[in-house]
Amino acid sequence: MMGFSVQRWAAWAPGLVHPASWETWLANPHALPAEGTPALTAMPAMMRRRVDRLGRIALQAAYDAHVDAPAAPVIFASRYGDLGRSVELLTQLARSEPLSPTSFSLSVHNAIGALYSIARGDTSAYGAIAAGEETVEAAFTEACGLLSDGVPRVMVVVYEEPVPSPWEHFCRDVAFPHAWACLLSASTGADAVHLDCAAGPPDASLTEQGPSDLPVDLRVLRFLVSGASRWEHAAGGRRWRWARHG
Amino acid sequence: MLELEQEIKRLVIDTLNLEDLKPDDIDPAAPLFVEGLGLDSIDALELGLALQKSYGVVLASDSKENRRHFASVRALADFVSSHRTRS
Repeated sequence: MMGFSVQRWAAWAPGLVHPASWETWLANPHALPAEGTPALTAMPAMMRRRVDRLGRIALQAAYDAHVDAPAAPVIFASRYGDLGRSVELLTQLARSEPLSPTSFSLSVHNAIGALYSIARGDTSAYGAIAAGEETVEAAFTEACGLLSDGVPRVMVVVYEEPVPSPWEHFCRDVAFPHAWACLLSASTGADAVHLDCAAGPPDASLTEQGPSDLPVDLRVLRFLVSGASRWEHAAGGRRWRWARHG
Repeated sequence: MLELEQEIKRLVIDTLNLEDLKPDDIDPAAPLFVEGLGLDSIDALELGLALQKSYGVVLASDSKENRRHFASVRALADFVSSHRTRS
């Protein structure tokens, strides 16, 4: 697959805002608060009022990574997305209560990305991906495809929050809401990152490097910003191999 | 009626998450949609639902009257006071 490099990145979680504090934290993670919402002042107030916590976190990371970069395709990726909103709507339906039109209009997986596009008047190609525990790899596969097509840069935005009740038993990997975003460009240089996929059992020597008490998407971020040479993510019968060829 | 106008202003602010606004910032005679407050069609649906829950007023979905009722906070107060089934 196409090699790429990270031109810049940003991330947001309660208590963790600046890239330098993220780097320190990723090397030695500790528990973060489960509550917190960014101000998202970059978005006009009349639009911001419709964005709930997870959306605000995702868009804060997107704005922080984008800054003044030229328009680029954006891929939003989240395994569970804004599931809290769906739980609320389904609960209202079960009680035969009328649904909030605003909440209904924002209950699709691409709603958060759409608000970002509308707020910025950006008509670039946008996508929204959910692909189980391989969500981040699916997003980067899409990004590499776009780069192979000759697009100069692509933005990937990854966001997750704890799975809400009554479904929390399906996944307890994410203990605090967070998002990260990075602007990618094609690269053939020494620092280029390559992602590929192979069948077969995981290579035990590569699967875990460093603390494993992080949700899988943040383990990808740690690989991307740490300069580590490889990281492997085994999922189902597949091994996703992230490598940096020096 | 003034009291009902204040009540409806608060309902508009709370229902539509207009977190930066206070009731006194809203001119009861100013347009709610496009100009004035700058609300849109989703806000109209949301507000219709809130009025139904709070006052029991029922809005016909295709009524041209709706445009008149939703023109301003004052128009909404007039409509609610003459059609409410809930206090």
